[in-house]
Amino acid sequence: MGITVTIRTNSTGQTEPEIKTLEPILKVENVWKLYHAGKVEVPALRGVNLDVLPGEAVAVMGPSGCGKSTLLYVIGGLATASRGKVLVDGNDLVAMSDAERTKLRRHKIGFVFQRFNLLPALSAKGNIAIAQYIHGDGFDPHRFEVVTKLLGLEGRLSHRPSEMSGGEQQRVAIARAIINEPKILLADEPTGNLDTKNSEVVLEMLRRLNKDLGQTIVMITHNPEATTYFDRVVHMRDGVIVDGVPAD
Amino acid sequence: MMGQFVANNLFHRPVRTLIGVLAIAVEVMLVITIVGLTSGMLRETAKRIEGIGADIMIQPSSASPMFMFSGAPMPIKIGEKIQELKYVQYVSPALLQFNTSGGVEAIWGIDPVSFREVSNGFVFLEGHDMQGPDDMLIDDWQAKAKKVNLGDKYNVLNHDWNVVGIVEHGKAGRIFVPITTLQALVGAHDKASIFLVKCTREDHTADVMAEIKAILPSNKIQPVKEYMSLMTSTNIPALQTFINSMIALAVSIGLLVIFLSMYTTVLERTRDIGVLKALGASKGLIVRALLAETTLLCLLGIFSGIGLSYAVRAGFLKLFPTLSILITPGWMVRAGLIAIVGSLVGASYPAWHATRKDAVEALAYD
Repeated sequence: MGITVTIRTNSTGQTEPEIKTLEPILKVENVWKLYHAGKVEVPALRGVNLDVLPGEAVAVMGPSGCGKSTLLYVIGGLATASRGKVLVDGNDLVAMSDAERTKLRRHKIGFVFQRFNLLPALSAKGNIAIAQYIHGDGFDPHRFEVVTKLLGLEGRLSHRPSEMSGGEQQRVAIARAIINEPKILLADEPTGNLDTKNSEVVLEMLRRLNKDLGQTIVMITHNPEATTYFDRVVHMRDGVIVDGVPAD
Repeated sequence: MMGQFVANNLFHRPVRTLIGVLAIAVEVMLVITIVGLTSGMLRETAKRIEGIGADIMIQPSSASPMFMFSGAPMPIKIGEKIQELKYVQYVSPALLQFNTSGGVEAIWGIDPVSFREVSNGFVFLEGHDMQGPDDMLIDDWQAKAKKVNLGDKYNVLNHDWNVVGIVEHGKAGRIFVPITTLQALVGAHDKASIFLVKCTREDHTADVMAEIKAILPSNKIQPVKEYMSLMTSTNIPALQTFINSMIALAVSIGLLVIFLSMYTTVLERTRDIGVLKALGASKGLIVRALLAETTLLCLLGIFSGIGLSYAVRAGFLKLFPTLSILITPGWMVRAGLIAIVGSLVGASYPAWHATRKDAVEALAYD
């Protein structure tokens, strides 16, 4: 549980602090994820606990194979936890059916991937608009304009992924992820396929989304520099979170 | 948006799309052409029989509507009995022989005099009527198809005939020879396959038919005007089975190609399907997208197939001028529906397979 303090002015013109407690937008409780290799159970997550508050930006770091991506997929409802609870905005993903998780993902979660994963047959505009279409509210030109402007994509909207640089593709992917105003943005190594310059651009975009728009972000990364853009860094090893320290 | 997504997916892989369209087009063309060829030939044959101008046809009881397959089981003397009936003006016997040497042809052995009486005679484009035992008349389409000219020798049934006249098409058959010579050639002395009867007035047809029925109770007696309605594939033994088999073959080709095409599409788009799932696309939406893509592919194939059918017909008619291929709107629609149903069946498994894909594995797919 988190605490926020707001200074407000009362009816007599005096200022007074208002204290509010914040419920985590994401709550991971003792989550296990077991994979089966023949008859052998291989644990990818071994009792992970993690709380993320609304508007928080959390970076998850750890060596390859420590379960970071699995955790992200479990949080995003693409994979189901074998045990434990995953609460997204109060909804327990573990107790949900596949169709319910799909619906929740549609309305509350945005994904950004390392390999961009844009649909190759569609233009940048199409890639962003299809997320709006799937969301079900149809094309919202105002929101579309705001997002594409924010990400500096105005001049590249008619281009297909094959005609764009990695940095541009990732910015389109971010636009696609946030076009429906998700509660949580999940980013899986978003700078993993980018050079230093483009990595900085993408990280700065994510930081601005968090600071300016209050977007909650959980990002998986190998890049230590990436963590400087985030509020909190969580380290994982062997399927568990080993610490959680605020970034400087 | 969905329409754009579907169309873009289709044109993203133009070669595969082209192959899919071609497969559907061939399927549609096969259905339209096979049905068109059979119905066209039947209709054209029926029109030629109607074109004789007779009122009644008499055949053996087991005779096929396709005269040339009927043999010659009727004694020619039957004609004399019929001629004696009230209201019968003329009777003409004909012997039909099926010839497969150098093409499929029906040879009409006729008595020139009585046939002229029943049919009001041929319209001669060149030459004159048969006079000698080895004389032959052919119609203009046959002459063009076989490149036969007046005065040429034309070998049919291992016999050299003298082409003495080229007549306008549209009356009975395409090749006519004297009945007596044909009887001798095929060993059917004094036999006929069919009798053509001309009544004194058309409205006596029913009365004459009743009288003929009384003296020939086991024979098939029918007004020529009804012949057109009998010349359908369902009335020709095995023809409907042949057509159904060809349609099934065409549909199988289309179904398998679409299945393969959509299956490889789903495999190739594994990661895209993972992305759609990550975006929150439901299984229904993924299935709809794939089936819509199949339908669009199919529609392109159907229109191409209809165009291809006309092209094939033009090519066939150029090569074989005596053929008749009847392309009807009804069968265009039916062929299209067959193609759509076949394609959707072919795409169903790949679409279902797509929805079953694990999103995490799909996203990691290379």
